[in-house]
Amino acid sequence: MSKPDFDPVEFLAGALRIPSISGDERAVAEYFVAQMQALGFAAHVDAAGNAVGVLGSGPEIVLLGHIDTVPGDIPVRVEDGKLYGRGAVDAKGPFATFVAAAARLAGAPLGARLVLVGAVEEEAASSKGAHYVVDQYAPIACIIGEPSGWDKLTLGYKGRLLAEGRWEQPMAHTAGREIAVAERAVAFWNAVAAYCADHNTGNTRLFDQLIPSIRSIQNGSDGLTDWAELTVGLRLPPGTAPETLAATLSEFAHGGQLVFRGGCEAYQGDKNNLLVRAMLRGVRATGGTPGFLIKTGTADMNVVGPAWRCPILAYGPGESTLDHTPNEHVEVEEYLRAITALETALRALALP
Amino acid sequence: MTASCPECDASITLAEGTVEGEIITCPDCAAELEVVSVNPPELALAPEVGEDWGE
Repeated sequence: MSKPDFDPVEFLAGALRIPSISGDERAVAEYFVAQMQALGFAAHVDAAGNAVGVLGSGPEIVLLGHIDTVPGDIPVRVEDGKLYGRGAVDAKGPFATFVAAAARLAGAPLGARLVLVGAVEEEAASSKGAHYVVDQYAPIACIIGEPSGWDKLTLGYKGRLLAEGRWEQPMAHTAGREIAVAERAVAFWNAVAAYCADHNTGNTRLFDQLIPSIRSIQNGSDGLTDWAELTVGLRLPPGTAPETLAATLSEFAHGGQLVFRGGCEAYQGDKNNLLVRAMLRGVRATGGTPGFLIKTGTADMNVVGPAWRCPILAYGPGESTLDHTPNEHVEVEEYLRAITALETALRALALP
Repeated sequence: MTASCPECDASITLAEGTVEGEIITCPDCAAELEVVSVNPPELALAPEVGEDWGE
């Protein structure tokens, strides 16, 4: 049982009041560790800077959230039953849900080792915290902390690849025959867009489509050399490997220099395993009608899923449409329901 | 142990060891079904898979 004076809303609000932009999570990690210790966890900050709390012993069940956020100072307050703050849904709220739910099992004779990880740098392409834990644990089940809505379970995420291109050529008069350097960058984009459109023929689900977007484009000159730079982001469907796609895109560069980073494959867990069953029971027992989601974004599931190959899903209260927005908030009632639903699932999974 | 398919009303025999939350397929109409209770046996249409964005 969690401590009788533990207030999960104030607990989350406390975390939201501590800024934790990617790369600067130490203070909030220490906050979570102190709170988990007070609730009966064995807790510490690991070598990557992740906040880690452990309950019980036995086969590992990892609950992997993230405690970094994108920038943006949102005054923390409760208004009309909504708790506002940067990270309320993405993703201190889901990690606080993990802590509050697991704490209700503290002191129980657990037949599993619950490992809660509040990871750093999920919002950065490095995914430092998740990459660190890949080799630290070998779980039989994993829940990723991301907003799905309290009654829904996220089964998969698309992959990702960033392509950064640069084109250079000697400066020439604009009235001449020389193609402008910016047009070479645009030609690359047109080739990428056409390749993706061809790939997407017949694929009606966004999850199955290869979707490109221009992240930035600029050009300039130092008087001798003209240059253009273009960054393209791609969302990868299942079956598209970043390395293979990078090789294909390189054929479209036509003399430009391409650098690829942030590559990860799409990953989707199955929906008929002990973890999904426990969560379905948890949602139904809390009065909900469960649903499944697949998402067009990317999360730490893409990092640990292919390595651990265990039952995995993402779960957490809140609407992901509020991710990164100035209106980020979680409904207090939904947050509390998610805690109860997850507690029910953890009891099914961890109690012998 | 039998239960009715909520889609086509077929009588479905649940295998021994069936657990709550398990997803099965109706042999008559091929609908995906969730075992929402084993005692008494009860089936519901399995959750649908929707698309969302984010993270």
